[in-house]
Amino acid sequence: MLTSEEKVYFGILVILTLSWAAIDFARIAAVIVSRPGFSVRVVLSRAVRRLPSMLTQVGATLPVFRLRPREGVFHYLIFAAFSFYALVNVLDTFSAFTGFSTIGQNVLLDAYNLIADVLSVLGLIGMAYFLVRRFVQKPPVLNFNPGVVLYPKVSAGGIRRDSLIVGAFILTHVGSRWLGTAFHLAQAQETSLYLPTASVVSLALAGLPAAALAFGVHATFWLAVGLILLFFPYFVRSKHIHIFFAPLNWLLRPDRPLGEIQPLKTDGRPLALQDLRWHQLLDTYACIMCNRCQQVCPAHNAGQPLSPAALEINKRYYLTDHLHEFADGSAPRVPLLDYAISREAVWACTTCGACVDICPVGNAPMLDIIDIRRSLIEQGDTLDAGVQKSLENLGKQGNSFGASGRARAKWTQGLPFKVKDARKEPVDYLWFVGDYASFDARSQQLTRLVAKVLNDAGVSFGILYEAEWNSGNDARRVGEEGLFEMLAEHNVAALDSAQFKEIITTDPHTMNALRFEYAKMGKRYKVSHYSQVLARLVDEGKIVLRPQNGVNGATRRRVTYHDPCYLGRYNRVFDAPRALIERSGLQLVEMPRNHNGSFCCGAGGGQIWSANSKQAERPSEQRIREALALGDVQTFIVSCPKDMAMYSDAVKTSGNEGKVVVKDIIEVVVEAMAESAHEPKR
Amino acid sequence: MNIIVIVKHVPDLVEELEIAEDGKDLNRDFLKFVVNEFDDQALEQALLLKEKGGGTITAVALDAPEIDQTLFTCLAKGADKAVKIVGDLEGRVTSHAAAHMLADALKAMSHDLILTGVQSAEDLDGQVGPLLATYLGEPHVSVVTGVEARGQMVVVRQEYAGGVTGEFEVDLPAVLGIQAAPQPPRYAPISRVRATMKEKKLVEIQAAAADGAGLNVRQMVRPQVASHAEMIEGNTDTVVERIVGIMAERGLMNG
Repeated sequence: MLTSEEKVYFGILVILTLSWAAIDFARIAAVIVSRPGFSVRVVLSRAVRRLPSMLTQVGATLPVFRLRPREGVFHYLIFAAFSFYALVNVLDTFSAFTGFSTIGQNVLLDAYNLIADVLSVLGLIGMAYFLVRRFVQKPPVLNFNPGVVLYPKVSAGGIRRDSLIVGAFILTHVGSRWLGTAFHLAQAQETSLYLPTASVVSLALAGLPAAALAFGVHATFWLAVGLILLFFPYFVRSKHIHIFFAPLNWLLRPDRPLGEIQPLKTDGRPLALQDLRWHQLLDTYACIMCNRCQQVCPAHNAGQPLSPAALEINKRYYLTDHLHEFADGSAPRVPLLDYAISREAVWACTTCGACVDICPVGNAPMLDIIDIRRSLIEQGDTLDAGVQKSLENLGKQGNSFGASGRARAKWTQGLPFKVKDARKEPVDYLWFVGDYASFDARSQQLTRLVAKVLNDAGVSFGILYEAEWNSGNDARRVGEEGLFEMLAEHNVAALDSAQFKEIITTDPHTMNALRFEYAKMGKRYKVSHYSQVLARLVDEGKIVLRPQNGVNGATRRRVTYHDPCYLGRYNRVFDAPRALIERSGLQLVEMPRNHNGSFCCGAGGGQIWSANSKQAERPSEQRIREALALGDVQTFIVSCPKDMAMYSDAVKTSGNEGKVVVKDIIEVVVEAMAESAHEPKR
Repeated sequence: MNIIVIVKHVPDLVEELEIAEDGKDLNRDFLKFVVNEFDDQALEQALLLKEKGGGTITAVALDAPEIDQTLFTCLAKGADKAVKIVGDLEGRVTSHAAAHMLADALKAMSHDLILTGVQSAEDLDGQVGPLLATYLGEPHVSVVTGVEARGQMVVVRQEYAGGVTGEFEVDLPAVLGIQAAPQPPRYAPISRVRATMKEKKLVEIQAAAADGAGLNVRQMVRPQVASHAEMIEGNTDTVVERIVGIMAERGLMNG
């Protein structure tokens, strides 16, 4: 079909554009591979192990459907069309050079033509949807909060421009190919059952003069396949590169648990792109700038200038602008705080992990934020007064409250029995109580309830008394790595001095540290949350729940449950608290954001220590609003001592006292136990 | 400018304080100690002066339980040298004895400025600074809330009631009692404190014989709860009646 002149031009275009793109692509690869932590062996073993799961995940684009199912569908149309077009483009080029036609050959090619024909139309519909969405509908989720740091090219409309170019390219590319098929059919004066839509268009074109049809065939080839070649050099610089890096990211991202942070050496210098690990750069190329992460971010929802998306986007634009220097190692060390994210944003993160969980391309922007915090702490950054005080308290007394470390077990006073000292006698369960459950006046009552229930169920358990220090989970997430190490070393020594089979924690944050972070110090503990132990005891019949509520046709009381970030997303404990609620005869009504999509209370990552006055509406208040919107739900159940503090406050500050009561899961259990005792209530 | 900052430990008040058997001191067996908060302010002021105009900072402390940790923290925050004065320093050291020993040690150390905390929980009279200045024959200003270097002198600020601020020019060398630095004391990351412990050493100086003069504690007692607040409840008339009654009882009403 192509003239010999066209074939020469095509060949020149292939060489020019592909080598141009290949050079830039090699630069990107060089930058990523040269970053700390990259190892060919690790990467290869991950790739081999994960290939099947990656192919199913990416093949179905499952994570894209989360949060935005409609966009997920339209994205899938483009994804399917574009994937199939890899084959289409090769065959089209082959046909153009040889004059081969796929029409009317055999069953296989008929099927190929049918799929191409249908997918072309669906892909066009999908692309049109996204262009309308971005440029006509303009959903607010694509905007950033005021004060979010944006790279100059981003604030000048870079993402819109990029989206428009990519969108126009896809429309032109797919549209031209589809139209080209119609021109082919019109030229051959035939229609095909296997090219239904193209055949219809070909009938409309049939009346055109032969020269026009011939021109149409050539022009559409160049606009379809030729355009791809022209697009290649731009592709490497555009967000569209996600079609390559997103699958790669799912294949190669570290398989560490969310709650296990890698140590970091910054030599006291401000953190620069050069300090990030290779997968943190892979992240920035995988990012498709969809802003799902900021949509679930508690800080962003509270109006603070934090957008995990902006962080990745800024990194990406900066890298693209300085790719040459980064590739040859001559790039100056420019602090990330100068262009990627603001100090205020860094300190606003609650480390809830929602951004990591929701990211459709497997990014972990939260890790960058924790790294920046660590370098800030090392440089002696001026800290929030409350955070500084808490860190100093942790260093002095081993608890964030600044109470005497010797008063750690004071909560046991008033119990009708003595809680065993696990350092002095062997126990089955070592209960690592945690700061809030030990020192917070409101939580102490609940802690005593847990102790009573365990004791009544005949559980052999003990505590470390004053030898228990804060686990260091939050200190580490504030960026105080040295303090974390000090606390962890102390606790490991204390745990070494005790004899136990399993650890129970009240605080999910503590659970994370003991389970995932202490493991890196060579200590593998079996750690359970108290809700899991309670559920187990109910299963074993050691706790008897015989609720009146809901029995004999009575309506069960409607309640809702909040998944704590560090219990749900971090430790994947979703069922035990729910089982306890159901077994207690209550009807669990889920909030729209539940399980791993739960919305942070705003306490994590050291935020509970800081004054944080710059929030428009606190995340905890938003969450209470979400619960009240369920209608007819008056009980808000929590399973984390920090949640008890946060939500009790939020109910008051949002003026909802009397409308909803915050209850700990232990209170639910105790109430259902009391009903089982068939005793008149005193 | 070469600055010496005097630091000391005070009992951590979050612990339950017990009076020793002889009734003259706290029972020190179970005390935990923290750095005197005003000394922390003095160090911060010194660090700010150094950051602005260069020079060196030497942290000096009399030996006490856990004092090494505090001196290393001073080094981690940016002090150049830490000196520990060792000797017969068991139990509570009176402010006179402390000033005497400090003066003796500091005479041999060249300096432009000595900063102390204005007072401590154990020395609310704030005597160490003035005594030290007297023994060294240097000028002294107390309750300072800001220091600025100006040539061969410093300009110091004092705040008075009613929002009045006073500025003094002080010839160097001088002793200043710091109430507050212009910004809150900085945080010393634990990793840096630990690294400092490995990299640096404390300089030890033998203390002079303690001077017995000064204050002696005769007896230490817990504060007595004198009376409790009375909550007046009821409707407005009852409350007003009760208030009037109280005022009459205390002789605050005419007629």
